[in-house]
Amino acid sequence: LALYFHIGEREEKCIIEDIPSDTLVVGNYKVQRWNIHQHDFLESAPGLGMFVTVTSPTGEVLLSKLYGPQGTFSFTSYLSGEHIICFQSNSTRFAVTAGSKLRIHLDIRVGEHFLDESAIQAKDKVNEVNVRLEHLIEQIHHVTREQDYEREREEKFRKTSEENNSNILWWAIVQTLILISVGIWQIKSLRDFFISKKLV
Amino acid sequence: MSPRGSRGPLPPLLLVWALAACAARASEITFELPDNAKQCFYEEIAQGTKCTLEFQVITGGHYDVDCRLEDPDGIVLYKEMKKQYDSFTFTASRNGTYKFCFSNEFSTFTHKTVYFDFQVGEDPPLFPSENRVTALTQMESACVSIHEALKSVIDYQTHFRLREAQGRSRAEDLNTRVAYWSIGEAIILLVVSVGQVFLLKSFFSDKRTTTTRVGS
Repeated sequence: LALYFHIGEREEKCIIEDIPSDTLVVGNYKVQRWNIHQHDFLESAPGLGMFVTVTSPTGEVLLSKLYGPQGTFSFTSYLSGEHIICFQSNSTRFAVTAGSKLRIHLDIRVGEHFLDESAIQAKDKVNEVNVRLEHLIEQIHHVTREQDYEREREEKFRKTSEENNSNILWWAIVQTLILISVGIWQIKSLRDFFISKKLV
Repeated sequence: MSPRGSRGPLPPLLLVWALAACAARASEITFELPDNAKQCFYEEIAQGTKCTLEFQVITGGHYDVDCRLEDPDGIVLYKEMKKQYDSFTFTASRNGTYKFCFSNEFSTFTHKTVYFDFQVGEDPPLFPSENRVTALTQMESACVSIHEALKSVIDYQTHFRLREAQGRSRAEDLNTRVAYWSIGEAIILLVVSVGQVFLLKSFFSDKRTTTTRVGS
């Protein structure tokens, strides 16, 4: 758990994971609180917990749980899209106390399947090779799923671009028509006006 | 696959994704950087480790961000302003906590989505050569090539995914802008033309007291 960052006590920090469906995401985190007296982050603060909320692309909440200062959470995506993982501490103290911040260590793994180590240690070496090959096949399936999802997104992108193209053309035509018709109306209206005022 | 009874135990085939517990780590995070904000990340690195930081801006504004990487002494190893994408490799010269920051402080109202990938250490070799008596067998060298090929597949996939997300974000921005601009322009056009006519009419309106006779 090496990478870490700081947030305020009551602040919520979110990260975005754009993943295909049926993907397992596992996260490890550790949170520490800044101690003003020791000018360091406490190794563990009692009562400090972390709300972890995972939102699916449609806004539906997949996971919303309170974990302790250190923990592991995981979820499997049902839909493809941007899943948002949010962290917020359960600290009830107001962040008015100066220098109050939290250090969050984070490690998120997407789509990894874990080797069953006990099966690897089996005496039968053929079985060991089998297990590793199955693991490899699972991982390649994940690559395939990512690629399928990428295809979907690229199609959506292409549709947006083509829609853009036709929108621009359509609006240009409509505006030219408005311009011409308004111009004609202007001239007619002014001509009738001047005739009625006996100026022409 | 026949068991190699006579040649001793089959060396452990550490196939792809079996990340060994030692130095090699990679963290990739996609996060949103609000306007006027700065977000820093820290990592403890041992001396002599080769590390790579790669980042890309996916959505927002001009798709650029400031990035800065400092070593434990505060010496700036890498500093770039308003970059869309970059990759930086360095070797840690001393033990300690390295810090890298992304800053969107130059932007007043666009928030950006930034992706970064920080790789610490090289991947350990699949078949460590310490206790080996023979060179790699064919199966093991096949595994090594599969591993390397799949690593580059992952790399390309990630790059492609990010570029596509960026392109799509631009296209969607463009779409909204075209729609708003066209509606706005049509309204302005109508308002100005109708206003012109009424304004002209008002110049010639009958104010009996101040009419001046035109012509001789």
